[in-house]
Amino acid sequence: MKGFAKWLIQLAVALVSIWLISGVPLLISGFQEGKFLWADYIDTLKNLIDSLFPIQDFAVEYYMGWHTKQLPLFPNLAEYIQYSLILLFSALAAAIIFALLGTFFTMLLKERARQRVKMVFFFLESLPDILIILLAQLIVVLIYKKTGVLLSSIAAIGDDRIYVLPVLCLMILPMIQLYRLCMLTFEAEERQMYVELAKSLGFSKVFILFAHIFRNAIISVFFQSKKTMWFMLSNLFILELMFNIPGIMLFMSQNMSGELFMITVLSFFLPVFLLYSLGEWAFMRRLKRGGAAL
Amino acid sequence: MKSVWRQPLFLIGFGIITFFLLGSFVFEWIFGNEPKQTLYLEENGRVVEGTPISPKWIHPLGTDQFGYDMLAKIMLGAKYTILAAMAVAALRMLIAVPLGFALGTYLKRHRSWVNGLIDPIHYVPMTIFAVMLLTPVLWMPPDGFSTGIVERIVIQVIIMALITIPIVAALIGNEANLLYRSEYILAARTLGASRRRIIIRHLFPQMREKLFVLYGQQVVETLIVLAHLGLLELFLGGTDVDYDPMMADPPRSIAFEWAGLFGNSFRYLQAAPWLPLGPAICFALVILAIAAMIEGYTRATNGQVKLPKRKKLAFVSDDTIEWNQKQLKEKMVLLQSKEKQKVKS
Repeated sequence: MKGFAKWLIQLAVALVSIWLISGVPLLISGFQEGKFLWADYIDTLKNLIDSLFPIQDFAVEYYMGWHTKQLPLFPNLAEYIQYSLILLFSALAAAIIFALLGTFFTMLLKERARQRVKMVFFFLESLPDILIILLAQLIVVLIYKKTGVLLSSIAAIGDDRIYVLPVLCLMILPMIQLYRLCMLTFEAEERQMYVELAKSLGFSKVFILFAHIFRNAIISVFFQSKKTMWFMLSNLFILELMFNIPGIMLFMSQNMSGELFMITVLSFFLPVFLLYSLGEWAFMRRLKRGGAAL
Repeated sequence: MKSVWRQPLFLIGFGIITFFLLGSFVFEWIFGNEPKQTLYLEENGRVVEGTPISPKWIHPLGTDQFGYDMLAKIMLGAKYTILAAMAVAALRMLIAVPLGFALGTYLKRHRSWVNGLIDPIHYVPMTIFAVMLLTPVLWMPPDGFSTGIVERIVIQVIIMALITIPIVAALIGNEANLLYRSEYILAARTLGASRRRIIIRHLFPQMREKLFVLYGQQVVETLIVLAHLGLLELFLGGTDVDYDPMMADPPRSIAFEWAGLFGNSFRYLQAAPWLPLGPAICFALVILAIAAMIEGYTRATNGQVKLPKRKKLAFVSDDTIEWNQKQLKEKMVLLQSKEKQKVKS
């Protein structure tokens, strides 16, 4: 019960923080005249709270030509949010799966080959996201020009939804990050005593990897993957921009306002926060009983 | 500690950065501030290619739509981009390090809720934050800028440094707090060392290497945010917007810095792929160079990470070992069945 209360406080502090950040743009907007608009900032904070209740009537202003229109949260904004979240989480899932698969295969290699593979990934990790998206779009165009096969459309037109190429572009960098992380934890785990014992008992490498190392290393990978998640959010924004994807990030960059900003941050923060709290709780409960994490 | 200068990775990275920085200044000194312009290529008196010219010997990276040489533009712009990123990261560290140490030592008790307050900032993509804060500064108003270019660059550097200071400070604070709990700090405290002395004498020297690595990471992050800003047409030092209602030129950057080169040309990706690819690859090269420097530096300070090599220690034959293992397994199975019987009875 004590843990739950602590969790609630954490959530409350985070929500307050998001609320305070959402007003900052207005505070800065008087910058060119050389003053901070504190009074307006306080007003915006009040308005933000007012606009949230009741949540069914929440709407943001949205520019269409010369007019501003009110766009309600349900169902219009929710659709944007849903699309962005689908992209984000499917990319995360794909990144985790491929990173783990890659780790398994590299762990089965000999020491020297392993070092080489790691070196290659070290260089791949420092590629900027813009270059990856550029190259992906170029390759698709080149293949289309040469063979006439369109693997995936490279930009969303209107309300079309594209999934394959954006998810692919979005997952590459997190996959490499997670892979390097997995390799570090798996190798640290490999040096533990129990692995030596299992080896001396004659268990096969694959079995030890699956039954022992994997189950122990996955916890630390889980905790570290939160950072990858943050990193992906920035990528998602640039991805939506370069693919012209009708997601919440693109919509926000075109119609900046405090309310929209708050809703966007909340729509990413809440699912991720819930997911990680749940994961943490489940792992910790099993660990306290003395069992393995999985 | 082995010398950093003997690490090949560090040297390669350092070489690339020096090449771009020195090259940029030397290039400007030799060829002047204006890139070479070629409007069309002639062959036997006939025009074979108009602007933008694809990569050729005389224009290794092609030219832009106005015929200006891309290589010259990239070389001229290198100094702005790299120096700005370094300045942002340096300013960030300068403010965040004292804050972080204070958070880790003086404000130990409040650390948990301060962290809770800072944590959600991670969910705001840095680029969006930067766009919101920088648009009023960098986007040219209809009646021209009221600020000078140097002023704008300074303001941009300060704002970009400020937006991630909470995150960096929290990171340093947590790290310092971990160190603060170690035994030698406890010993120092028992002997009566003040917190200030502990920070200066113990924590900072302990963390110096980590701080260098953090600095490198901050430079990389800043470079990426700069590139993102370029995509949104917010260029280093301000965006020159043409408000002419008829035939307005596209927004352009004032200096030839890379974010501008990339952001201006992104939409020509399919017609002239060398235009956005050139600056994007240069960004990748510089980031790679910094990553290599970080790796070389950690190797020099930690000693190369090596797994201990396993020697064959067995003097007995493999058959014996196998027999032993079999025996062990059988015994284990026996033990297990006995346990089971016990449970049943």
